[in-house]
Amino acid sequence: MSSQSEIVLTRAPVPLVFGFQWSVGEMMEKFIKTLADKKILGAKCPQCGYVYVPPRRRCGKCYAKVGEENLTELSGKGTLLSYTTAYVELDGVGNFRELDKPKAIGAIKLEGADSTIFMPLGEVKPGDLKEGMKVEVAWREKTEGELDDIEYFRPVKG
Amino acid sequence: MRNVAIIGCGQTKHSGRRRDVNLAEMVGDAVWNALEDAQVSPLEVDAFAVGNMQGFGGVAQPEQWLGDWIGASGKPVLRITTGGSTGGSVAHGAFYAVASGLYDIAVATAWEKHSDSKEPGATTGLGHVGLGNMLNLVNCGVGFKHLLSMFVVGAAAGVACYQAMYYMHRSGCRVEHLDMVAAKDRRNAAKNKYAHLQWPGCTPEDIAKTEWIAYPFRYGHICPASDGASAMVLAREDIAKKRCKKPAWVKGLAAYSDEENQIMSEGAGGIGILDASQQIGATMSAIKAYKMAGINDPQKEIDLAEIYQPFPSQELLFAERLGLFDEGKAWQALEKGEMDINGRIPCDLSGGVNATNAIGSSALQRILECALQIMGKAEEHQVPKEVHNAVAHGWGGATNYITVTVLGDSPY
Amino acid sequence: MPYVKEQRKETMSVEADWDVGGSTTWKHSTLLQEYAYGLKVKKIIGSLCPGCGKVIVPPRNICGRCHRKMDERVVVSDIGSVTCFVISAPVIKGKTRVMGMDPVEMGLVTEGERVISVYVKFDGADSNIDTELIGVNPEEVHVGMRVKAVWAKEPQGKLSDLEAVEPLKD
Repeated sequence: MSSQSEIVLTRAPVPLVFGFQWSVGEMMEKFIKTLADKKILGAKCPQCGYVYVPPRRRCGKCYAKVGEENLTELSGKGTLLSYTTAYVELDGVGNFRELDKPKAIGAIKLEGADSTIFMPLGEVKPGDLKEGMKVEVAWREKTEGELDDIEYFRPVKG
Repeated sequence: MRNVAIIGCGQTKHSGRRRDVNLAEMVGDAVWNALEDAQVSPLEVDAFAVGNMQGFGGVAQPEQWLGDWIGASGKPVLRITTGGSTGGSVAHGAFYAVASGLYDIAVATAWEKHSDSKEPGATTGLGHVGLGNMLNLVNCGVGFKHLLSMFVVGAAAGVACYQAMYYMHRSGCRVEHLDMVAAKDRRNAAKNKYAHLQWPGCTPEDIAKTEWIAYPFRYGHICPASDGASAMVLAREDIAKKRCKKPAWVKGLAAYSDEENQIMSEGAGGIGILDASQQIGATMSAIKAYKMAGINDPQKEIDLAEIYQPFPSQELLFAERLGLFDEGKAWQALEKGEMDINGRIPCDLSGGVNATNAIGSSALQRILECALQIMGKAEEHQVPKEVHNAVAHGWGGATNYITVTVLGDSPY
Repeated sequence: MPYVKEQRKETMSVEADWDVGGSTTWKHSTLLQEYAYGLKVKKIIGSLCPGCGKVIVPPRNICGRCHRKMDERVVVSDIGSVTCFVISAPVIKGKTRVMGMDPVEMGLVTEGERVISVYVKFDGADSNIDTELIGVNPEEVHVGMRVKAVWAKEPQGKLSDLEAVEPLKD
């Protein structure tokens, strides 16, 4: 009378959403709030000199402590190390959905920084992207001190 | 297999909300405190064991974030997670790394950051632990009144309520004894600068004034949901002897799991365990760990214990499982003061899990606290006698996971 | 509360949601449904282990101790004993909510009622089921109390067909 060969599928009968709120810590909070002034902060390790963006309070290379006194302002310009273009996105329930417009994302080494950041690329056709291109930050018009203040990076003209 | 000792310990302050740091900073603090205590440079560490109950803080593969925050770049990292006994298993993982001969110095670190979940306390984590079974029950038309009876009891304390009632029925322990244990733990925690619920001078009457959650538990009996991290450095014998004045030797360890998955099996089927306080896994683990440590009479040879007790009933029933008191008699020993700092076997001088519960970190802290006592570094809550042997215990699931670790002031 | 409190800075958060309900489907065997169908005809079904002889209620496919398949089914009695009980705090309207619903408002409990949750070992079974105990004062509940299943008036092949247990009257 056993029937292990049959499988029943169940889903949650009521909306079931778990919310998370990861605290960012003081260095990251400084970085995010300073975006309001259209400034990008990095941190330079006092021991080995490695510059991180966003800033962090312990060096990942030599493990020295990095403090607020080691914060440094970056120019917002950088070099495109690598890039890719996305044509689809996930719809959250296991399917791909086509994007209205392809999304380009780049790995960017900011002037004065040693670490890389990954940012959307705008004002450029995917076909025109080239490794080694010079790029710069495109700010949101009204910056609020949020991560979204950096809208995207665009090629430097000229 | 070689002898292994703990040569350094580090913790962060545990509290309800560590929003001043992000996860990597918090765990990093514990690891760096441990490395400093051990006087070991990160370059000398060969392997890492890390762990937490990741669902509770919503970070699925935390070791990927933590890597270069804890000095693990270029080193082997093993993430271990075994429910409430995670910290114990993490410590065992680091022990295996060194005892096997493969590595010479290993770091064990475990943590929890409940405040990263929007729901209060441990709700998010607990919510998805039993979800599959819950939905099976709902799908098969479980009555709403039945769900209600599960929730009003289960929400705060779950299986621990039933476990406590089994123990109280068979041993004669009363709610007053739970009040006494909870008060002792919170008093002890006041002397532990890293603990969460610190209530100097807490009395059983103070606990008895708090409101009932579900008989037999009052609000004052229940552990908090803490944010915090702890870490230890383990080293092989000759390094430990050379670098540490008084290492804490890991003499014996065992981890037996029993059947079951929370209070019902997979698919909401029944389980063959009639008494949730029986905890056969704890008995078997204790027997094996003591044998490995060369302990024949724990009641005489163990100097102190750190028991994993989010609920005060568990301090009593697990103390019996660990062979520290006669069957059913731990509550009488409590009355006589045998579990106090000047008693025969002080239990949970750090306040235990009842006062500080960052789930991943909790079982590791039990081993860490025994180590601190042996090393003489427990500061305000140091026991005023020589500690030759100590036992640390971890518990997870409902009857599934147990870790028992016996530490001593000499490897032999 | 007289606990020692400390104040710490609260830094900003990055937020995200995990839509567990919308994105996850669980797979189950039909064992629990089989049990529920048994309840419809007032039969409490368990699985028998060929190794240790234990009867597990509700049925499961593999014995937790011997790890053998449990294909055989046994019907156990609808009379059993309370092996454990837990009593809730009085249920207050507006204070206790289950899945977003208020049990007092829904008329399931009266204001201030204390819900008694029990583990019952039905005669013939080697496992407990958890259910509610009704028809008795919380003060009178004790381990070993003999109880009898309370069946739903209109069974539908659901787990709720076994509504609760009540004291066995001799």
